[in-house]
Amino acid sequence: MHIVLPHDASLDGHLVDGVIGYLTLTTGLAFLAVLVFLLIAIVFHRERAGRTRAHHTHGNRPRDRALTFAVALVMFVAIDVTLAARAAGELSRRFWHYPESDPNALRVEVTARQWSWTFRTAGPDGRFGTGDDVVTLGELDVPVGRPIYLKLRSRDVVHSLYLPSFRTKIDAIPGSTTRLWFQAQEAGRFEIACAQHCGVSHYKMRGLLIARPEGEYRDWLARAETDSRLRGEATLPAAGEATGGWDWETGR
Amino acid sequence: MTADPSDGIGDPSGGIGDPGDGHADDQEIPPEPVGLLRRRVFSTDHKVIGKQFLFLGLSFLAVGGIMAMLIRWQLARPGVPVPVVGRLLFGRAGGLISPAAYTALFTMHGTIMIFFAVTPILIGGFGNFCLPLLIGARDMAFPRLNLASFWTMAAATAVLTASFFVPLGPPQAGWTAYATLSTAIGAPGVGQTLWVVAIYLNGASSVMGAVNYITTVIRLRAPGMTYFRMPLTVWGFFLTSILNALFVPVLAAAMVLLFFDRVFGTQFFVAGTTVGAGGDPILYQHLFWLFGHPEVYILIIPAWGIVSDLLSFFARKPAFGYRVTVYALVGVVILSTVVYGHHMFTTGMSPLLGESFMVLTMIISVPTSLLFANWLGTLWRGAMRMTTPMLFCLGLVFTFGVGGLTGLYLADVVADMYLHDTYFVVGHFHLIMAAALLLASFAAVYFWFPKMFGRMMSERLGKWHFWPTFVSLNVVFMGQLLIGYAGMPRRLYDPSAYDFLRPLLPLNRFISQAAYVLGTSQLIFVANFFWSLFRGQKAPKNPWAVGTLEWTVASPPPHHNFDRIPVVVRGPHELGHPAAWALGKDWLGQDEGPARASADNSADAPPEGPTDRPTEGGA
Amino acid sequence: MTAAVSTSPQRRELDSMVGLFIFLGATAMLFAALLLAYGILRAEAPVWPPAGTPPFPRGAATANTVILLAATLALRAARTTDRRWPALAAAALGAAFLALQGALWRHLAATHLGPSAGVLGDVFFALSVFHALHVLGGLVVLALTRTRRLRLLTIYWDFVLIVWIVIYVAVCLL
Repeated sequence: MHIVLPHDASLDGHLVDGVIGYLTLTTGLAFLAVLVFLLIAIVFHRERAGRTRAHHTHGNRPRDRALTFAVALVMFVAIDVTLAARAAGELSRRFWHYPESDPNALRVEVTARQWSWTFRTAGPDGRFGTGDDVVTLGELDVPVGRPIYLKLRSRDVVHSLYLPSFRTKIDAIPGSTTRLWFQAQEAGRFEIACAQHCGVSHYKMRGLLIARPEGEYRDWLARAETDSRLRGEATLPAAGEATGGWDWETGR
Repeated sequence: MTADPSDGIGDPSGGIGDPGDGHADDQEIPPEPVGLLRRRVFSTDHKVIGKQFLFLGLSFLAVGGIMAMLIRWQLARPGVPVPVVGRLLFGRAGGLISPAAYTALFTMHGTIMIFFAVTPILIGGFGNFCLPLLIGARDMAFPRLNLASFWTMAAATAVLTASFFVPLGPPQAGWTAYATLSTAIGAPGVGQTLWVVAIYLNGASSVMGAVNYITTVIRLRAPGMTYFRMPLTVWGFFLTSILNALFVPVLAAAMVLLFFDRVFGTQFFVAGTTVGAGGDPILYQHLFWLFGHPEVYILIIPAWGIVSDLLSFFARKPAFGYRVTVYALVGVVILSTVVYGHHMFTTGMSPLLGESFMVLTMIISVPTSLLFANWLGTLWRGAMRMTTPMLFCLGLVFTFGVGGLTGLYLADVVADMYLHDTYFVVGHFHLIMAAALLLASFAAVYFWFPKMFGRMMSERLGKWHFWPTFVSLNVVFMGQLLIGYAGMPRRLYDPSAYDFLRPLLPLNRFISQAAYVLGTSQLIFVANFFWSLFRGQKAPKNPWAVGTLEWTVASPPPHHNFDRIPVVVRGPHELGHPAAWALGKDWLGQDEGPARASADNSADAPPEGPTDRPTEGGA
Repeated sequence: MTAAVSTSPQRRELDSMVGLFIFLGATAMLFAALLLAYGILRAEAPVWPPAGTPPFPRGAATANTVILLAATLALRAARTTDRRWPALAAAALGAAFLALQGALWRHLAATHLGPSAGVLGDVFFALSVFHALHVLGGLVVLALTRTRRLRLLTIYWDFVLIVWIVIYVAVCLL
């Protein structure tokens, strides 16, 4: 039984794995040190014949306090400060640096509802909410090697789009818009899960992310744009309906 | 009594928090209550109320535990009917746990364990029973409020139980009850509304208790019991009560608004589905976690206090760094109020907010490390007595150490993006909440059982209870860490719906088997508890030979606790003091011997001369 | 049954005072959380009051505020005298406040400002209903207080008045 992280198909997922690895190493060492300490204490500092007096101290001499503070400080600097600095940089330069003005980015609107995912791209006219949009149910088709920029909304309750092979997730919330970006580094089929309890069929809210090399993606898109089953018309909101397709929003 | 200024504020002893030197008989000795109802059912005696809370909590611990076994069954054997009790519990589904039943199970498991098991056992049970005894008081400051607090909790359990019997069934939105799943949109039945009412009543009970505990600690400490001579158990209950008083009302506010949304059609948490809906589901999360994060500290701080005392008692040396521990606890209390956003990293909050919560969450590891280091210092070079309570305390040190470290993974936003809402979170909080709190609760039961019931529990059965419990607990919850690392989301009825989770079935099955061992091991505790209640060896006043005040009175104590209010002359951890050895024992009672002018617990003092009081035989 | 543990009345009163302040702290946190919810929803609304909301009847709310203020003053008067009429007046005015709030709610529901008619209605309804429950609690205690020791109740009543003034200003005026 080999417990492993899911296959990483993403551009930045290795950063997540790096944090997990660093933490496992440092906390593992800390835990081991504590374990050794405890075992020594339990074995040797026990009451038995010939050893009935504990070493009487309140532990409030300056050197006692210095020792405990030193332990706390070492842990804090080695783990917390290091990780916080690293995270701040990674968040601002990668994860939360959205490809707002990148012409290369593929923009996708995601609608979550009980219990399925719907994905909409703008179609040949480049505008969302028009009849030529390509809408897929449960399947997110993306090209390899380009940023994929998602904006999400939910129709009913809070859901969470979870991409295990991309080491990321983001909630989909009714009444507001959230966003996520990632990039596939290899072709393949990768599962999408819902990670926020959303009702009895939460466990079945599965999707599929299909990453294709650029050429194959264009072929697929061309076929999709002429496939009447994938037109945007059928899913356009009726006049007066408050939810469903919405115009591409700029920023949050 | 001496004369006072007419408006009564000018307390002759000097102030609100003065322990009342010279007013040793400030507390009346009440007449003994008569009749079964007054003595056992509607008693205002904190000892009776404490036991009532304890029994209520232990009963619900069993119910919540059975629910956990059912959840683990479904994860180990999806689609297989539950053996033995399946037909009884899930008759209409042929013994099978349906998706709806599963969501109700994990909702009620969480709700019961947090609000109706741990809270009544540790805070309502041991808080009530021990607090007045530990500070040398005859009862809580407001005994009738105490009575009301218990019966409000009892009413809450009735409302929660009722939710199982309504047409659309019990609540299914998780113990966190996020909107809009918990509003009429996601949860149309009255079951969820009953849940809201039950939680509100439970919170009201907690706030009543908090008012009582805080006032009691401030006002009813015995003469000489300064704040820094209080046992750390008392500090635990005191600080927890402050958090309770301030943050349970925030949960109450969330419940009020959710109630209004469900019953009156308001739209505080409703958005995006109807025209004009101006609510915000995330508002619910803010309110809930503003309460929710302090809540986890509310639950653990009494455990930390108890363990800090018990480690000292059974290592036969003072608690290492008492003052630093107190300040660390206060630091945790303050910081716990500003870290709640780490439960919401994936809701798309602003980067500044997200990073602030990350940094603040990481800072909490500093006081927690200090507290932990002080535990290790207490054990080092001690003369440990491996009694059952000590074993459970050592177990807590281990599981809390591991569980606390796993929190760092989740504090880091980058790792949290992957680990949020996976079983890694489940493993983390079960190690800290379930494992540590369960071990602390058992330590407390084994430790105070003699005082509560006048009999000793079996040490042998205690050890047979400890080892399988400790080992299986770690297997289950560390196993969940691994499952989460592999990416399995929470609250999943059937993981095999996903290809990437199918290889985890063997591990899930193994975890479930360990969980069954954990569950059945508790039968040893039940047997020990009830057998000892009736046939246990009669307990002396001070079976553990320690110096805190509850061990100076009979086991169980008389209705009025102390014949004379004790006068405290030293701290609670004077073990191994040279002055004690001079008397032929290794401990000094808090009220033993003449008062010393500079007596506090912080001096490694030179030996005292012999006292003029006859010493108690430390059993 | 034991009423309180401390023997001297002075100690008991101070115990009760400490307890009352903790209770008021808890209640203040509850109302603060409700007001926080209001603040967040208002900050998130594109325009306030939301489009289509009828104007709020400030006059009615102001009148009710005055009545509650009068009840508070009557209760304070009851502390310093042995006569019974101030306490009765306080009870009557408090009850009048509740009755008028009830009338106001019915009016608001009829004019599209009740619960389920928009955020402003939601907020006022929830806050004022919850506040009214606390006024009712105070009235119950007033009815049950047989001694002249009204000091704790007046502190509680002052608190309830202050909470109302904050709600009134934050929701009805601003």
